Amino acid sequence: MATQAAPLVEVEQLVKYFPVSKNYFDLRVVKAVNRISLSIREGETYGLVGESGCGKSTTGRLILRLIEPTAGEVRFQGKNVLKLANEELRKVRQDMQIVFQDPFSALNPRIRVGSAIKETMDIFEIGPPNDRKARTYDILDKVGLQKDHYDRYPHEFSGGQRQRVVLARALAVGPKFVVCDEPVSALDVSTQSQIINLLEKLQRDLKLTYLFIAHNLSVVRHISDRIGVMYLGHLMEEAATDNLFARPLHPYTQALLSAIPHPNPRHKRKRVVLSGDVPSPLNPPTGCVFHTRCPIAVGACRDTVPVLHQVAPGHNVACHKVHEWNI
Amino acid sequence: MKKQPLLEVRDLKTRFSTETGLVTAVDGVCFQIYSGETVGLVGESGCGKSVTSLSILRLFGKHSGTRLEGKILFEERDLLTVPLDEIQTIRGNKISMIFQDPMTSLNPVYTVGDQIAESIVLHQKLDRKQALAKAVTMLELVGIPSPESRIHDYPHQLSGGMRQRVMIAMGLACQPKLLIADEPTTALDVTIQAQILELMQKLQCELNMGIILITHDLGVVAEVCDRVLVMYLGQIVEECPVEVLFDNPLHPYTCGLIRSIPSMATNRREELHVIAGMVPSLYHVPAGCHFAPRCPYADAQCGNPPELVTIDAEHKVRCWHPGARASGERRLA
Repeated sequence: MATQAAPLVEVEQLVKYFPVSKNYFDLRVVKAVNRISLSIREGETYGLVGESGCGKSTTGRLILRLIEPTAGEVRFQGKNVLKLANEELRKVRQDMQIVFQDPFSALNPRIRVGSAIKETMDIFEIGPPNDRKARTYDILDKVGLQKDHYDRYPHEFSGGQRQRVVLARALAVGPKFVVCDEPVSALDVSTQSQIINLLEKLQRDLKLTYLFIAHNLSVVRHISDRIGVMYLGHLMEEAATDNLFARPLHPYTQALLSAIPHPNPRHKRKRVVLSGDVPSPLNPPTGCVFHTRCPIAVGACRDTVPVLHQVAPGHNVACHKVHEWNI
Repeated sequence: MKKQPLLEVRDLKTRFSTETGLVTAVDGVCFQIYSGETVGLVGESGCGKSVTSLSILRLFGKHSGTRLEGKILFEERDLLTVPLDEIQTIRGNKISMIFQDPMTSLNPVYTVGDQIAESIVLHQKLDRKQALAKAVTMLELVGIPSPESRIHDYPHQLSGGMRQRVMIAMGLACQPKLLIADEPTTALDVTIQAQILELMQKLQCELNMGIILITHDLGVVAEVCDRVLVMYLGQIVEECPVEVLFDNPLHPYTCGLIRSIPSMATNRREELHVIAGMVPSLYHVPAGCHFAPRCPYADAQCGNPPELVTIDAEHKVRCWHPGARASGERRLA
């Protein structure tokens, strides 16, 4: 879509360590996000994929500054979000919203959904107070709900409808950028397709930019313009969606893509089955974090961390072996 | 396939009495499972997949007010009429089950070795030492590294993939004839899912088990199943070999399900197919064809309940207008 647009969100060398100390002398940390750099252009959908515990959700939250990063920089429309004082941060938050995975726990069971949506407008003082109810009706309509849903409680809705409410609440303040953290993982297949279609329609109508975090690769492929693949807190590969699926270069991406079950019984593929489990982020491997499971690892992979570098226009890979291996 | 089925379910009805009345969760389900084959049971949440599998082993509380009707024939006996203490000799022994969520299905206060050994001691009359030795070989079989030390671990010390392997090791410890796997890979990441599916297929070849695989992921179905049963609101709406399901689905619900998943083959950015409406509540099951209110091809005839009819040898469908899409008559509701 908008391939040449200016970056809306720029992330540079973002780092987040969570301390897990049990006492004063215990200095262990979980290295959740490790020197991640990426930029998201206006109007595009950037997909972030990886297995559980790879730091994709943490990255989403760091960008919104819902948690404080250990180091690094996040720029939204040129402003460094991490340096903003409270009042300025609040203003920027109006442009950056988030949709969480679980629509059951993201809504307060005691607040009617209409009030929950209107509350966000009250906080940001959007429009005259008397208009806000009408605006809420508008937004309910946009996400495919009816006016009479305004006075209902979350438990009266199905999973798909609740996700629509969560979406309406995020869109009520008119954001430019929405982080979608696994928005369809908790839903059934048929509801999932409804919500994906809705997300795409809203993006067209409201000119939104998405960071779409998910582990379901078929869904990410469907919705994203560009995709970043994460493993153990590191960004391993980044490319335009079609390029990534046509020519995955990082051995981890290749294994990940080959593991997707295809809904076609005649599609007999050669599966790259990785041995073992993802190592603990408490004690990640030295050098390339993937070397313990990598089928083509060499000595250098154990010692030096590979840097993400461009191997083709718009296609970045962090792997020592990429030149001899696949190009 | 003219051999004796391993398990035959005839007209199974499972009802729960609730405060608001009697609910029929499984409504007249019939199917057979043969040794060495994998049968997929698919459908959305609440369609009765899991209740069907729980009914086979009668895994309902004594006082839950569950009413089971029909016949479940296994080794020439009807599992619905054998006394409960005899069922105990079948559960975990000849028929075993793998549950969806390995986090909640393992007991947190026993080591995984003890939990695997428990069923071995119970069914194979071995002493604890021998049983633990067997547990080690089971863990080795499912690909857990250094099983001798792992049997002393508690579930919280293992990752999700390892716990699911432990569940599979437990399920297979007595070399069952039939394995019921209820969403065995739903909670796992794709790379781990690939490992587990590969493992299940390998073990199936070695032990010639029949497997009932309950899932809502049609990708997984395409990959490992031989035959598929599609369920909707407690009924089987379509039954066929897996190739036929994807090449020539006849029930509008099956067609809708297949078309609504984003796949690697579909065009990106193309709008996804959506099945109109929602799954109705079991308290308000539509009269006639259950799917009619959401079906684009429904007409007056669909007010009558359709039977599961045989289209050809292995293909059955419950619909008045099977294959409506193929004939091109598309009337949008």
